[in-house]
Amino acid sequence: MGPNVLYHCPCLSTSSVPPPPHQISSSYSFHPLHELFFCEECDAVRCNRCVSVEVSGYYCPNCLFEVPSASVRAEKNRCARNCFMCPNCRNTLSVVPSDPPDAGDGRLLAPISTVGEPPFFLYCNHCRWDSSEVGITFEKPTGLAAQLQKLEDSAPDSLEFDRLKEHFEPIIRASSLSSSSTVPSTSHSRHHSNPITAAASAALARDIPGVGKYTPLTRSGRSSGKDRSANKDEMPEYKSRLDITKASAYGSGGGDVDVDFMRRLETVSEVASLDQRWTYSWSTSLETRDLKPLRIPLHSKHSKRCPACAHILIKPEQKAQSVRYKIKLVAANYLPAITVALPHQIEMLGHISAEATKRGTKSTAEDDRDTRGGLQAGKTYPFHMALTNPLYDPIQVRLSVQRMHVAPSGEGEKARRPPFAISIPTTPFSVAPFAEAWEYEDDEDMFALDDDELEARLSGREKEPKAKSKTVGVLEKRANVTVVGGEVALGKEARGEIKFNMLVAYTYRSDDPTPSEGHDISPSKKAVPETKTFAFYTVVDLGAIIPKDEDSRLEAYNV
Amino acid sequence: MAPIRDKFTIHSKAVVCQDVELKGDITIGSGSIVHPKATIFAVAGPIVIGSGCIIEESAVIVNRRREVMRIGDDNLFEIGCRVEAPSIGFFNTFSTRSRVHHTVRIGSLCVIGANCVLAPAEDDALPDYTIVYGPSAERRTWTGKGKIQEADLRRKHAEYLREMLPKFNRLRRGDGT
Repeated sequence: MGPNVLYHCPCLSTSSVPPPPHQISSSYSFHPLHELFFCEECDAVRCNRCVSVEVSGYYCPNCLFEVPSASVRAEKNRCARNCFMCPNCRNTLSVVPSDPPDAGDGRLLAPISTVGEPPFFLYCNHCRWDSSEVGITFEKPTGLAAQLQKLEDSAPDSLEFDRLKEHFEPIIRASSLSSSSTVPSTSHSRHHSNPITAAASAALARDIPGVGKYTPLTRSGRSSGKDRSANKDEMPEYKSRLDITKASAYGSGGGDVDVDFMRRLETVSEVASLDQRWTYSWSTSLETRDLKPLRIPLHSKHSKRCPACAHILIKPEQKAQSVRYKIKLVAANYLPAITVALPHQIEMLGHISAEATKRGTKSTAEDDRDTRGGLQAGKTYPFHMALTNPLYDPIQVRLSVQRMHVAPSGEGEKARRPPFAISIPTTPFSVAPFAEAWEYEDDEDMFALDDDELEARLSGREKEPKAKSKTVGVLEKRANVTVVGGEVALGKEARGEIKFNMLVAYTYRSDDPTPSEGHDISPSKKAVPETKTFAFYTVVDLGAIIPKDEDSRLEAYNV
Repeated sequence: MAPIRDKFTIHSKAVVCQDVELKGDITIGSGSIVHPKATIFAVAGPIVIGSGCIIEESAVIVNRRREVMRIGDDNLFEIGCRVEAPSIGFFNTFSTRSRVHHTVRIGSLCVIGANCVLAPAEDDALPDYTIVYGPSAERRTWTGKGKIQEADLRRKHAEYLREMLPKFNRLRRGDGT
C-alpha cells in the first residue's frame, strides 16, 4: 500500500491526543477522510464508530419498494411482493412460464404466446436454477407471496415458533401488568408487543434490595413488588410440538439425517455451502437440492446523528432509488484533504514502466518496484504533501509533528521502533479557496500543464531546474491545492514502518455570528467575520523501511 | 511465419458489418450476424461459423491451432468475450467479458456467465447443458427447462438484427482475398 494519510477521530474521548501510530491497537482511531463526518454544532470530527445510527426507512433491493416500518415486522423483514432470491447464487428470481409442448422435431409449430403457459415457476437467469427442482410451481404469475404463504406457514419451524410465542405471551402480559401501575398514561410499560422491550421493562421493575423501585410515572410506594418477583419465577412448562430428536427428519438439519446423507454423498456440490444456508431464518438441511427460494431480505437506509448534540449528520432521501442525501455533513467538505507522495517512487515507477514497455516483460518490474522505489534505511528521502482546501475561504495551515515516544523493547534488543526524523515546514502557509475551474485566472492552461508535467516526471526529467534544491517548505500553490515538501531521514538501524502523527491546525474566516454572544442583536447588517481555528490529528504513513541488511541483495538489481 | 492468407466465405444471407476485423480462412454460415468492431482471427487454422450465430461488438474469436475451429449454429457471443475453444456446439451463450481458453471443448446449450474465465490447465470438455457462473466459475447443469423459449428468443434476436443492422451499418459483401 502506498503512502497515505489517515485522520484521527477522538471518538468522544477526553484527550484529543491520538495514540502513537506504531502500536497496532491504535489503528482503530484513524480513518480515511471519506469515512468521516463533521458536526457543525460541536465543531468536531465524528467517525462511524461514534455516531448514533438510526434506521430511516426500509426498502426491497429488488423492486425498490419502500416498505413502511409497520409492515416490516409483519412481513418478517422480507419483501412481500414477488421478490425471491435464488438459493444457489443469491440472485433475483423471475417468474417464467413453462415451455409450450415440444413437438419433438426441434421446430416451433405454433408461435409462443406472450403470456405463457402455466405452470409458472421461478427461474434464475444467472445460474439457471429453477424452482421446479424443489417442487414449487404456481398457477398464476402474480400474487406469488400469497401462494407461497400457505407453504411457509405450514413448515414445522414456523409452527413451532408460533407455539412458543403463544406460550410466552400470557406470561409477559401478566408480569408487565403486575409491574405497571394502573395509571392509564403509562403507555410504555403495558402491552409491549415487542418481547424485548417487555422483558426490559420487567427487568427494570424487578425488586432489587437497596435500590428504590423504578416505577415510571406512578405514585411511589406500591407494594406489589413481592408479587412481581414471585410471579416471575413461576412459568408453566413448555412442551414442544415435536420431539427435538426426531425434528431433523423434517428438514431442520442435524442428527441422524445428516449422518446418512454424508454416507451417501457423491460429489461435494450436493452439500449446501455456508453462504447458501445462512440467510435462512432457521437451520435447514444440508443438501443442495433442499434449498428453497427465499424472499428477498429488506435493506435499510440509515441516518446518522452526532452523539453529543444529536444533530443530524447524514440523512438520506426517502425514495429508495435515489442515492443522494438531504443532509450530508461530511468531513471532506470541511477538512483539507491531505495526500502524500514520495517523488522518488514516482520517478522509479516511471522508469520501470518505460523500461517494461521496451522490454515487454512484467515479472521483474514488480521486484524492482519494491527495492529501488522503496525506503532504504540510512538514507534521507523527501516527500510531498498536497493539501486541498474544500472551503470557499482561504485558510492558513500550520503543521506540526507530534513528538513520538520511542521506547526500546527491552531485553537488550535494538529499539524496535524505527528511529527516523521528520522535518516539515512549521510556518503557517495559506491554501487558496475552492472555486470553480474557470475562476482561476492565472492557471488557464492548468490542465494542459498537468499532462506535460506528468510525462516529464514519469520519464525522469524534472521540469523545474535542479538548482531548486529546497525540499522542505511550500513547493507549489495551484488552484486550491498547496504542495509542501518535507523530509524524512532514516537512521541506519531503522526498521518497520514510517508512521508519524501530525497535528494540522488551520484558521479560516467564518461569517457566522456566534449566537451565544448576542446579548442584543445589533441592527448592523454586516456579519462580523471572525477567524476560527480548527485542529485535528492525522497519521502519515510513508511505507515500510527496507532494512540495511537486505541492501546487499538490492545491489544486484540496481542498474 | 507464413503470411496469413485471407479467404472469407460469407453466406449471402449472413450480415457482416464493414468494420469487422477478419483475418485468415473464415467461413460464416447463413443467417449469422457479426456486429461492427468484432474480431475474428483465424491465425493458424481456419474458423467455420455455423448459421444463426450472433457475434457482438468487441467479441474476439481466435484460432491459434492448426486444426479447424468449428462453431455450431445459433450461438451468441456477447460483448467483450474472448473465445478460443476448438469446438463449440449449438445454442451456447458466451456472456459479456467471458473468456474461454483453447483447452476447452464446449458442448451445446451451455452458458458461460459474465466475466467468467474458463481456463483449465489441461484439456477439458464441457458437457451439454452446463452453466458456468459466479466469480469463481462454478458449474452446474441445467435441467433444460425453458430451452424452447430461449431458442425462440435467440431466433427472434437474430431476425431483428438482420433487419436492423443493415439499415445503420455498411455491410461487407462477398469474398475478400
